Amino acid sequence: MAITWRAVALTALGAVPVLLLPVPGTVLVWVALVAALCAVDVALAASPRRLAVSRSVPASVRRTEPTSSTLTITNLDRRRLRGLVRDAWPPSALPASGPVEPGAPAALGRRAPRHAVDIPVGEAARVVSALQPTRRGDIPAGAVTVRTVGPLGLAGRQASLPVPGRLRVLPEFASRRHLPSRLARLRELDGRAAVQVRGAGTEFDSLREYVVGDDVRSIDWRATARRADVVVRTWRPERDRRVLVVVDTSRTSAVRVLDAPRLEASIEAALLLTALATRAGDRVELLAWDRRVRASTAGRTGSRVLPAVAESLAGVEPALVEADWAGMVGQVRSRLSRRSLVVLLTTVDPAAVERGVLGVAAGLTDRHVVVLASVADPEVDDLRHGRRSAAEVFDAAAAERTVLEREAVAQRLRRLGVEVLDALPDELAPRLADTYLALKAAGRL
Amino acid sequence: MTAPMTTTLIPATGDGTTARSRAARRWRRARAPLVVLALLLVGGLLAVLPAPRTSTAPLAPDNPGDTGARALAQILTRHGVHVHYVRTIAAAEKAATAGSTLLVLGDLYLTPDMVGRIGRSAADLVLVETPDVLDRLAPGVVPSFGGSTTDVRGAACDDPDAVAAGTITAAGAVRGHGPGVTVCFLESGAGAGEGGALAVVAGARRVSVLTDAGPLTNRSLADQGNAALALRLLGVHPDLVWYLPSSDDLGIERSSQGGTSLTDLIPPWLVQLGLLAVAVAAAAAVWRGRRLGPVVSERLPVVVRAGETTRGRGRLYRRAGAHAHAAAALRAGAASRSAARLGLPRSADRPATVAAISRATGRPAADVEHLLYGSSPTDDRALAVLARELDHLESEVHRS
Repeated sequence: MAITWRAVALTALGAVPVLLLPVPGTVLVWVALVAALCAVDVALAASPRRLAVSRSVPASVRRTEPTSSTLTITNLDRRRLRGLVRDAWPPSALPASGPVEPGAPAALGRRAPRHAVDIPVGEAARVVSALQPTRRGDIPAGAVTVRTVGPLGLAGRQASLPVPGRLRVLPEFASRRHLPSRLARLRELDGRAAVQVRGAGTEFDSLREYVVGDDVRSIDWRATARRADVVVRTWRPERDRRVLVVVDTSRTSAVRVLDAPRLEASIEAALLLTALATRAGDRVELLAWDRRVRASTAGRTGSRVLPAVAESLAGVEPALVEADWAGMVGQVRSRLSRRSLVVLLTTVDPAAVERGVLGVAAGLTDRHVVVLASVADPEVDDLRHGRRSAAEVFDAAAAERTVLEREAVAQRLRRLGVEVLDALPDELAPRLADTYLALKAAGRL
Repeated sequence: MTAPMTTTLIPATGDGTTARSRAARRWRRARAPLVVLALLLVGGLLAVLPAPRTSTAPLAPDNPGDTGARALAQILTRHGVHVHYVRTIAAAEKAATAGSTLLVLGDLYLTPDMVGRIGRSAADLVLVETPDVLDRLAPGVVPSFGGSTTDVRGAACDDPDAVAAGTITAAGAVRGHGPGVTVCFLESGAGAGEGGALAVVAGARRVSVLTDAGPLTNRSLADQGNAALALRLLGVHPDLVWYLPSSDDLGIERSSQGGTSLTDLIPPWLVQLGLLAVAVAAAAAVWRGRRLGPVVSERLPVVVRAGETTRGRGRLYRRAGAHAHAAAALRAGAASRSAARLGLPRSADRPATVAAISRATGRPAADVEHLLYGSSPTDDRALAVLARELDHLESEVHRS
């Protein structure tokens, strides 16, 4: 049961009879009359339960990408259905209804879409609700609420129908804007003279004619002797290396940096690296780990790797547990048989590292190239420059200490042979891509 | 990245409920609040009901305590006397008609105006412990000093009530002047005057003055002839107005003032419009109060900022007054950044660092040494100054 503004207005209209006949009975009779009319309206309203409702949503969508949810409502009642339909979604799935200030809570000013419908007997109507998810993960749809209104428009009936639905929101992959420039750099690596990239892992590619500017040391004299021209050897970056991206989803990944958990920056970096390494011909695998495997991809090749990684990272949430790094090393050992690149997306939080990665890093670096990519907090840098009051100076000192400790821990990791990069959330993905390219150029993979 | 495919689910028809299951669900949901409401109602009734049955006011007909007079009131009621218990002069005036008895207990709260209104009533008066109003209500009876102790007194007069009672226990005394005044239960013992505990003024109406309320109380009613005297004094007429003056009652009634009250000035339709406005407000509340479907909850991410630990550490420094510790952190940070900027290895020792920075900034080495490795500041001001000077030094290193 629900009443409309018309019922309220009709009640207020009772002022006329009350002024004409100012006795208490008038008010009572008028209220009783309005109540009776509402009851009649409710009795004549279409049933909100005799409907067939189906919902269709895209199987998956990228974060911040506009999409829509379509409801198909069939009127199975013997009365015409007039009223309101609300397609309920969590606030984070809805587009901002007005201009939203940056930094305001995501749910502010978002309202579940509601639609006025008028469906004749036996017919169906389709209502489309605009969605724009602002949070990654599987978003379950709420119930579909139907409020029918009687012919007088005074009152009606309401029911919430459970219509299952789920929208899988993939990571935004905002870092893909860095991809073209990194791919260009990757192409530059191709065909470079050997001396510039000479390293243990570079592979012989082909022979071509000498052109002015080539290093004379790369001339292949044996081939030159067979032909009339001077021939040089060219090299190409090694291919078919294995890259294992380990995303740490333990408690340190839950901490909020700027407006998002640390995990979001890690995921962005993982996606950019996956896209880049796949194009470079390497085989990328993913492991999201805290105390157990949260997500994993393996055995995909070519263009199927990136969608698989994005899909499996979509539902990963930070878990409030301490990471089991020994278990992670076991996972890595069981997956990688030959020398590979292992990228750990975590943080160089001194306490967490000392009890975790430091103990197991040696077990990884002896067989693999290990890169540890850490999400730094820009707030610490802001704090470091506070000088306005005594409290700010103390905060600055604390921030200074934090930076020094992180640096010290990073240094200890480097001494163990781990490549450490500590970058702000926005810079982590391109910095990791650059590190990958540098390793590739140096032939260290 | 992903193919734009959609999931279409099987249409859901209805919400899987019937009218019966909905009614059952509503009943289940409403059951607990209804039980609470019923308990509140019953509790409220239980709290309200016994309240008027007893009181603790002295001499009240509903007070079962020692100083109360419930025994007397009950006996009178059992013998067909209607006891009207009143606390205001207005009620007493209204109830005390001719052919009834007006019992006045105490004169502490009686104003002259109230005394006059008692005097104008047509009922027989029984005045108990009212020494200050005797001159107006019982002409010919004056309070007498002495007799302040409670003792057993004989009737010693020919008033039939007193004779019937024989002896009573009472204190206090009044004396009578002039005709028609009978004084009974004279005080006895050493220095006794001719004062007595009961004075009866005969006339158009009978006025009885009792100097002591003791004989009426539950404690003493059964002593001597107290009960006989009390019952005979109060049981003369079938109606007894039991007036126990109250401090709350000033004897002023609004209606008797003759002015117009606020309600008289409001036109009747305005009151009705107010009622209608309440109905409209209730309707508006129902209209706006009904949600279009349940709230959809959102899984919220953690809200702890990464900088919290750093801020917490800063606050700890401050609370502990760790100026030396804070200064050491600031110095170490400045030194390590300057050293990195100048290309010194991490292993560079103190003299090497100082020398390099001194060369880069053109400052004397002693100054740099003092700034980076000098004595620790001991208060907020010195720490702030140090922080600023380190900033200057660092900016000079970066300019070089």
